[in-house]
Order: sequence, then C-alpha cells, then structure tokens
Amino acid sequence: MAAPTPFKVEISQPTIDAILAKVRAYDWHEMPEIAAGADRWAYGADMDYMKELCSYWTSSFDWRAVEEKLNSHPQFKATVDDQEIHFYHVKGSGSAPQPIILTHGWPGSVYEFLGVIDHLAHPEKHGGKEEDGLTLIIPSLPGYGFSGKPKKPLGPKRTAELWDKLMRETLGYDTYIAQGGDWGSVVSGFLACNHGLNVGGGCKAVHLNMWGARPSGVGPQTPEEQTWGQTAAFNFEMEGAYLRLQMTKPQSLSYAMMDSPVGVAAWITEKFNSWTDTRGPDGTEHIENAYTKDQLLSNIMIYLVTRTFNTSTWFYRGMFEEGGTDMAPGKKVEVPTAIACFPKEFIPFPPRTMVEKGYNVARWTEFEKGGHFAALETGPLFANDVAAFAAQVKG
Amino acid sequence: MTRPIIPADPFKIHVPDHEIEDLKHRLEQTRFPNEPDGNEHWAYGSNLSYMERLISYWRDDFDWRQQETWLNSFPQFKTTLTDNNDQDHEIHFVYEKGSGDNATPLIMTHGWPSTFREFLDVVDRLAHPENHGRSGPAFDVIVPSLIGYGFSSLPRQPVGPAVIADLWHDLMTKVLGYDTYLAQAGDWGSFVTSRLALQHADAVRAIHLTMLPLRPDLRHESQPPVTEEESLWIRDMKKWWAGEEGYRSIQSTKPMTLAFGLMDSPSGLAGWLADKYYRLGDTDKSHTWEGMEARFPMDTLLTQLSIYWFTGTINSANTLYKAGPAEGSGLLKPGERVTVPTFYSEYPMDSLPITPRSWAMRGYNLQAFKIMEKGGHFAAMEEPELFADDVRDAFATIL
Repeated sequence: MAAPTPFKVEISQPTIDAILAKVRAYDWHEMPEIAAGADRWAYGADMDYMKELCSYWTSSFDWRAVEEKLNSHPQFKATVDDQEIHFYHVKGSGSAPQPIILTHGWPGSVYEFLGVIDHLAHPEKHGGKEEDGLTLIIPSLPGYGFSGKPKKPLGPKRTAELWDKLMRETLGYDTYIAQGGDWGSVVSGFLACNHGLNVGGGCKAVHLNMWGARPSGVGPQTPEEQTWGQTAAFNFEMEGAYLRLQMTKPQSLSYAMMDSPVGVAAWITEKFNSWTDTRGPDGTEHIENAYTKDQLLSNIMIYLVTRTFNTSTWFYRGMFEEGGTDMAPGKKVEVPTAIACFPKEFIPFPPRTMVEKGYNVARWTEFEKGGHFAALETGPLFANDVAAFAAQVKG
Repeated sequence: MTRPIIPADPFKIHVPDHEIEDLKHRLEQTRFPNEPDGNEHWAYGSNLSYMERLISYWRDDFDWRQQETWLNSFPQFKTTLTDNNDQDHEIHFVYEKGSGDNATPLIMTHGWPSTFREFLDVVDRLAHPENHGRSGPAFDVIVPSLIGYGFSSLPRQPVGPAVIADLWHDLMTKVLGYDTYLAQAGDWGSFVTSRLALQHADAVRAIHLTMLPLRPDLRHESQPPVTEEESLWIRDMKKWWAGEEGYRSIQSTKPMTLAFGLMDSPSGLAGWLADKYYRLGDTDKSHTWEGMEARFPMDTLLTQLSIYWFTGTINSANTLYKAGPAEGSGLLKPGERVTVPTFYSEYPMDSLPITPRSWAMRGYNLQAFKIMEKGGHFAAMEEPELFADDVRDAFATIL
C-alpha cells in the first residue's frame, strides 16, 4: 500500500490565461424576452447575470487567491484500486478525534466544504469543546477536480467501495462517520449500507443532507408520503433534464462544454441558482443572497482548470450502469443516521415514516434556511448539525 | 388564386468574410473532450474520432462559398408576417414554381436539428418531374425556414407550431396568393403541418407526413380501447426514448442553460447535433464513422451546421422544444381529429418499433400508411429520389 503523497494545487499561468481569454472573447447573443418582474431564469441561465458574472471573472476574479485558500489545508493524493483520489486530510483537535469523510456532489467540489473545515476540526476555536474535534477527510469524487479521470464511467456504489478502502486501508481508520449531499449523499448512503460496521465495513454512522441511496421497492404509501411523491416528481420534471442527459449521452454535451468556459459557467451557475435558498431578508430571490461571485467562480474554475467537466458528468452514466440508486433488495442502513432537511433542497427527503424504511434514523433536523449546497450556503448551521450528530454517536 | 396582399423580397444568402474567418479561427482553437472507453458505437453520445474528422474537414476542406452558391441557386424570398400576438416575424423561404400551368402548391416544413436545406435535393424533382423521367404532377414548392431557424428571424418571444401554422397559412394565401395548397413534413414540421390541417382544414387539401406527432387523449370516450399491439408499441417507444430524450428534456426546460456553450463553440454545436444524425438517420451503425459519412457526406452535414452557426440560431431553434409544449398544441382535444386527407410514410429510425396503423388512425384521416425500406428521419436528404416519388405518388391520388 503506497502512502498518500502530499499535494498542492498549482495551475500554470497559460492555463488560466487561456480560460480568461475565451471568457473575454465571448460573443453575447439573445435570449427570449422576459416580462418585467417575471423570473429571469425561466428559460435557464439568465443572460444578464451571466454577463455580470463574466465581467467580474475577467476583471476582478483572482485565481491565485482561490489557490491559496485551497492550499491552506493539507491535501494528498492516493491510489486506491488504480483510481487516483485527491483529498483533504485535516487532523482534528483533542486526543482522539473522530474521523469523518465528507463527500461533495455535482456540480460542486471540495470547495463546498472549505468554509466548515476549521469549525469541524477545531471546535474550540468556534465556541465548542476541544474533545469534539473531528478529523476530516474530504475527497474529490473520481473524475472530479483534482482526482484522477477514470477510463470509463463509474458510479456511487463503486465510489463507496473506494472510500471504505481509502479510510481503512490507506489511512488506517477502522471506523468513521460519512457525510454527504448530492452524489455525496448517495455515496455516503452506500458506504453506510454496503460498508457499515454491521456488515464488516468501517462506516459507523452517516449524516445526509439529500435523499440519495434508497431502499429498494419502497414507494410512497401514506397520504403525506404521496404528497411528497408528487412534489418530488414535479421537481424532477422541471429540474431533472441535466440528469436525463448526463446519464445517457454525456459525450454529446462535452464538445461544447470542454471548448467553452462560459458554457460551463452557465451550465453550473444555473444549478446553483435553481437549487439554492436565494431568499434575501425581504423575501426576494437573487443568487447573490446566497453566494458571492468569487464563490461561484471558484467552484466553476475547479472544473475548468482540471478539465473535468466531461468526466464529472460520467458519474450519472456510471450510476445508471451500476443499476441506479437503490440499495440491494432487503437491505437497509443499520448504522445511526442523521437526516438534515434544508427547505430549498430540490430533492427533498420523504416524510420520516418513509425514510425509516431504509435508514436507522437517529437524528432528524429541519432547517429554516438553506438548500442543496448546504455546507457552502449555511456554513456554521450545517457544521453545528454535523458536530452535534458526531457527539451523539461518540463512544 | 387570390391577389397577394403582402409583398415578398428576393433574398440571397451572403455570409460576410469575417464571419467565415471567425469560424475557422474557432475551429483551429477547438479543445476536444476525452472520451469514455466503449464509445465506438456512440453509446455515450457523439464519437470522438468522428468528431475529430468532422472538425478538421470543417476547418481545412469545407468550402462554404461553394455551398452558398448552391443554396442561392434556389429562388429565395423574405417576407414579414404578424402573428396573433402582434409579434412580427421575418420569414425566409424557397419558392420554386412547378412546370406547366397546373402545378399544385406544396409547403414543406423541416424540423430540428435541420434547416430548409433538408428539402433542397427534392425541390427540382417535385417541381419539374419531367427533368427526372417522371410523369406525375408538378408542384409549386415552398420551403420556409421555421421561426427562429436559419434565415428566418429570431422571435423575441418564442412561438410554437400552432402560431407558426397560422403564419404559414398567411404565407401561402396572403403572400403567395393561393386559395388551397398541400403540405408535407417530418419532425417539428409535422407538428406545424398537423396544426395547419387542424386550423385551416378548408385550405389544406391533403398532407403527407413522415412523423405522426399529435397525441390523442386516450382517456376520452371517443377513443377506442388501446390494443395489445399499441400498448407494446407504447412500451417500446418509452424504453427507446428513455435512452435518447436527454436533449429534449434540456431544451424543453432550460434551453438557455445549454445555449451559452453551443453559441460559443462550433465543435460544441457539432457534437450536440451529430449524434442526432447518427442515431435518427438510416446510418450503418456497425462502424464508428464509415456508416455516418456514407449516409451524411460531410459537405451535406456541415452545410446544415454552418447554417446554424452563421445565423446564430441554435438557441432559438432549441427553444422550440419549450415553446411547443407550452402552447399545448401537440395534444388533440377530446374528439379533435385531423380531417384533411393524410398520407403517412414511416422511414426506418434506429431500433424504433413500427407504429401500429390503428394508432395513426386515431388522430388522422389516414389515406395511406407506408413502411419505407430505407432512409431515416431526414428522408428528403437521405433518399431524395425515393422520398420525392413517394410524396408525388401520394398526392397524385387526390389531385
């Protein structure tokens, strides 16, 4: 077993310059007319906002500052079963910090978690107790960011296998907690289901902020569950097109995306706008109520500088080829599970009665604010819930 | 014949030199994606080695001026028409008068991801059958560019097939002065043509379709119960669609999210569209690119792509997938049916199952139902002779 190699993000200047040159040269086009007061994102990415974002991108955005931020925590690369995996490994405070693996999704990256690292690893600096410090492992999914590109699509079940090996064999942690949203919730769900302590794996508890891995053959039954089912189906109809495409013909999209930084920015920014709690204090919605342009562009640039947009979309096809997001028939998650429900999540959890058919629910938190990218959007709110759950399952 | 009351101006395509230079420059700068193992038969979408061949041909060998000259050898016009919501549209169309004094007007409508060019190989065959050793009827052939496509204007507010059908009727009657006419189409054109038949049944003498788009309301009492053949067909169609409909899904919900990449990158535009020609055309799919190039010579495909590129219309073209369903015009109202005589010819398309005749009869006054042996979704380009003979023979039976 090769030891992990320390890693720092160092992107060459010509790579950055080439991206910015293409953004600068973008030839703006038309969009359908939107009536005053109507949703400017009704047809997808809003032209006015994309212009504003790109103007900031070429005039004020500083990749080197992002790089410095990315490099302010220890990073490594390790090879597990031929898959190169990039990850943060931050030792927590206290004498025996509990390891936890936090997994991002699409179109996110490890960047989503940067703002909560210190809070979770060193609670004593944020009004908590030193002995509650967590050791954080934050990997980039295969084909994402600074992880290696697989030769062909792989999905969340396979990734869960890799994560369990990374935690136990590479890093030597016999037990760990798993946390995730988006693909991270599916991977974490499969870690808990297929690699839980109860079945000989290392995952002792799981914290989820999206309805990911699902118990097989369990559908909505009670009236409440059926109402949820209708909402979920409607959301999927409106929001699920990217998924339908990416799990069938990702390659047809890739020629545009790998050739156009603004194309990638629009594809990703629209998701951040649609899936986020963008309500401001007066209730009106705007993407910058939730994110700064620097935050949006930092995440987008990780896709661009690593040229991983294409391979990131393969994960959907990989999921499809693995047989979907259902757990094996008759199986469920037996380890303690925390469910964190954020109000603007577009794939909301079903009622607790239905979740309990697949998970041993030990904690259920409903938040008043936040959406799909909970760690990035809510920071401390998210971190406190994860920390409280870790304390709950300690010992 | 009524007196035309709206003028049309002759039109020639001329792409400025600097736009041709800009395209070449972008093609030279192309950064290709990588490709998953196992994409030899386009299972994950447009194949990389095909795309590399196509983009290098577009950059080094494709002669737009030669294609432009050929496109301009067809008489083209532009006219401005106003829709029911007071939006003006500039409509581009080819207008070839047929031989003799008794030519019958025929409007032919293309779809996505195609352009008016799709029909150019059959214009002469239909307008002047005697040039091709045929003795059947001659047609005045009218081939418009859909609204938001090619050389027609971009709508400020997207419009769907029902609105376009009314514009086509005005084109045929108020601009060209015909009282009655025939219509032919596939893909989105078949929606427009079906709406034309529904909305202007007194003027449309007959229609010929290569796709049957209107869906009956199966729950309504006027509809006979679904047959076993139909239910198997619906099941197989759904299964096929599940693997293919990603593009439709995006274009019908968030076309703008896709637009930024496609409008910026000619290879991106090509990658998005090439897979549709490969999949829906009657291509030999046992090869990576040989079958594709045999069916759609690069000059032909690149003329289509260049029209999208130079006119900057991929965004507005894609948005038809949102505007169409928003209009609700694809669903037949309870009891509604196309009463105009309808000829349907089904060309083989990928692994799609054959439509049950009973299904076709639910929504249309079906005169003929033909299964074609070759040619796919772009039949007029793929098999011009077969296609032109079929359309001419069909309409000859009612003229």
